[in-house]
Amino acid sequence: MTHPASGTRTYLAIWVWLAGLMLLSVVLAQLAISKTAIVLIVLGLSTIKALLVALYYMHLKIDRRLLTFIALVPFIIVLFALGVLCSSRFVRL
Amino acid sequence: MSTAHAATAGHVQTTTATGIPNGKLGMWVFLASEVMFFTGLIGAYIVLRMGNPAWPGSDGHLSVPLGTANTFILLCSSATVVLALGADQEGAIANVRGWLLMTILLGLAFLGIKIGVEYASKIEHHIFPSTNVFWSCYYTLTGFHGLHVLAGVIFNLWVLATTFNGSAWPDQHRRLEFAGLYWHFVDIVWLFLFPLLYLF
Repeated sequence: MTHPASGTRTYLAIWVWLAGLMLLSVVLAQLAISKTAIVLIVLGLSTIKALLVALYYMHLKIDRRLLTFIALVPFIIVLFALGVLCSSRFVRL
Repeated sequence: MSTAHAATAGHVQTTTATGIPNGKLGMWVFLASEVMFFTGLIGAYIVLRMGNPAWPGSDGHLSVPLGTANTFILLCSSATVVLALGADQEGAIANVRGWLLMTILLGLAFLGIKIGVEYASKIEHHIFPSTNVFWSCYYTLTGFHGLHVLAGVIFNLWVLATTFNGSAWPDQHRRLEFAGLYWHFVDIVWLFLFPLLYLF
C-alpha cells in the first residue's frame, strides 16, 4: 500500500505530461497528413498515456510483478484478437 | 491463502501468500476482465468501421472541444484520486476527503457534459442509436463508459462516507486504493474512446 517513491511531485509531473500529450493528439488529428499516419500516431500517444497512468497512478512501476502480469494478460489476448481481426477478409485496410 | 494482520500507524496491515492484499488482487483480476469487455465493444466498432466503405461518421455533430474538455476532466480526476491516496499515506484525512470530493465532482462534471450537453444536443437534432451504424456505436461505447464513470462516482462516494467513520477507516482505508484503481481504468478506457470517436 505504501509507495514512498511516488510523491505528489511525481503525480503532478505525470498529470502535466498527460495533458500535454492529449493536446498534442488533438492538434495532430487536425493536420492535413495521411489519415493512416494520424491514426497510428494518435493511438500510439493514447497507449503512452495509458502506460503513464498504469505505471505511476496505478503504481505498477513499483508494485509486485504479479500485478503487472495480471494486467498484461488481457492485452496479449487483445493483440491476438486484433491480429485475427485485421487479417480478416471482411476488414478493408 | 493464509493471512495475518498487524496494526501499524493506525492502519491494519495484511499479509498474504502472494504479498498482495486479496482485495487488491481481486480488483486487478476484475479490471483485466473489464479490459476484455471494452475490447469486445471496441473490436466490434473497428470491424463495423473498416468493413463499411460508406462509413457515415459523425457528420459534424461531435464537438472536439467538448470531447477534449471531458478528456481533460478525467485526466484531472485521475490526478486527484491518486493525490487522495498520497494524503492517506501521510495520515492527512482532511486532505483525503478534499481530493476524493474533487474526484467525485470531476466525475459528475464529465457525466454532466456527456449527458446534459452532448447527448441532449444529439437528441435535439433527432440523432438516436437507430440513426445509423456510427451513432449506434457512439451511444453503445460512450453509454457503457458513462455507466462505468457513474459506478466509479458511487464507489468514491462510498469511500468518502467511510472516511467519516473514524473507527472503521483504519481497517477499511484500502478501499480508497481499490476505488482509485477502478477510476484510473475508467480514465484509460476514455483515452482510447476519445480519439476513436472524436478525432478519426
